[in-house]
Amino acid sequence: MSRYDDTLELVIAKIRSTINEDWIALYDIDAETRFNDDLEIESIEFVKIAEAIQAHYGAQLDIVGWLSGRSIQELIGLSVGELAAYVAEATAGAA
Amino acid sequence: MARILITVPPLTGHLNPALAVADELERRGHVVAWALHRRQLGDKLPPRARVYPLDGEADANDDDLGAVSARVRGLESVRLFFEDYTIPLAARLFAPLDAIARSFQPDVMVVDHQMPAGALVARKLGLPWATLVTTSASILKMSPAFDDWVAAQYHSLQCRCLPETPPVERPDFSPHKVIVFSIEALLGDAHARIAAPYAFVGPTRGEGRRRVEFPWDWLREDRRRLLITLGTVSRDRDTRFFEVMCAALAGLPQLQAVMVAPPSLAAQAPDNVLVRDYVPQTELLARVDGVICHAGHNTVCEALLQGLPLVVAPIRDDQPVIAHQVIAAGAGLFMRHGKVTPAAARATIEKLLATPSLAEQARRIGAALRAAPGAAGAAAHIAALTAAPARKAASWN
Repeated sequence: MSRYDDTLELVIAKIRSTINEDWIALYDIDAETRFNDDLEIESIEFVKIAEAIQAHYGAQLDIVGWLSGRSIQELIGLSVGELAAYVAEATAGAA
Repeated sequence: MARILITVPPLTGHLNPALAVADELERRGHVVAWALHRRQLGDKLPPRARVYPLDGEADANDDDLGAVSARVRGLESVRLFFEDYTIPLAARLFAPLDAIARSFQPDVMVVDHQMPAGALVARKLGLPWATLVTTSASILKMSPAFDDWVAAQYHSLQCRCLPETPPVERPDFSPHKVIVFSIEALLGDAHARIAAPYAFVGPTRGEGRRRVEFPWDWLREDRRRLLITLGTVSRDRDTRFFEVMCAALAGLPQLQAVMVAPPSLAAQAPDNVLVRDYVPQTELLARVDGVICHAGHNTVCEALLQGLPLVVAPIRDDQPVIAHQVIAAGAGLFMRHGKVTPAAARATIEKLLATPSLAEQARRIGAALRAAPGAAGAAAHIAALTAAPARKAASWN
């Protein structure tokens, strides 16, 4: 698997463990899955997921900072794959 | 006595608190006039209300939120409400409202926070004015990306309507008084507030409701009871949530629940769930032990006024923020509206009724809400603006 695939797998695992509700264990999450429309995850919970990912990788990640440069349309449409791509890129040097 | 012009968008939840405030102002001898959409709101006003209609001819845009809005959720609903509704509405109503204000010649304007055309007219005319804020989510800073987007929306509106006047970051908030129908004990400190001269008056009570029949003898004194409601906007969104509630409550025969839902749900409701199209909510809240709702600001305040703990299943608009306030205050539990399963719903309902601290915190917030001055407090703040000296005098030419 590529670095991106590994990262995507970790991001999905962190989403499942942070949300920790019965439905999400069975819910099919992939790169196209959107936080707002598909997972019903609002900003407060997104921050918790971001913190869980950052706790895994360490200080080179700034997910909230990365988001702050985005438009509201991009925030609404944010997908699991976009987050994984950022995480994979930001941590590339540390692999 | 002062002449006061009140303007609200064509949304009932925004009219109701304003009606209570207008009633208090009239009792103090002030003259109140309304600028609003007569088609949507006219029948909810007192018969002798002085109305300047904002809805034009029959073929004009009727300013309804529309069917698209009913389907979106979360942040997308907020974007749609601002970009596709509030800002275009303001641009369209600015000139008519300006003409109405010049005709009525108010001493003070009272403007709902989602009626920015009124705010711009008050600023243009140099009138003292107050903002009415019907949900405390509107006074919070959310995130840099979100706050910048809001500022950009208001910037373009001001450039269009008031090109000669330097734009301000939040033209919807009066520099004189911003009246919030909530209390700081519920607001919490999870988000910073936008800087403004706030007055937290708490909710207004019980006004604007029509009489609704209800089979009171269905409620049993030997059962614990719940009210389930998603509010008027989301009630007809889809039936999944209600079906899950029915399935969960079928496994909890020791409870009774009144569910405000489309009548078609009645066929699949278990014996301990009563499906009603409309309910007399205030009276019903006095007879239940807990509430499952969408975290609409009005429903949350009404439930907490009665000291009732809540399960909050937010869908859209300000609801995720209000839901978080309830949870942070210790008075409620979260439920994910479109994802909750019967098993999770049942566990959440059991926890709601088995956790004494939830009801204790709900009663704590309820006491603070009852102690807040409500509509009378709001009217006093507005009346004070009419007496304020050294405002820039409006010129009516």
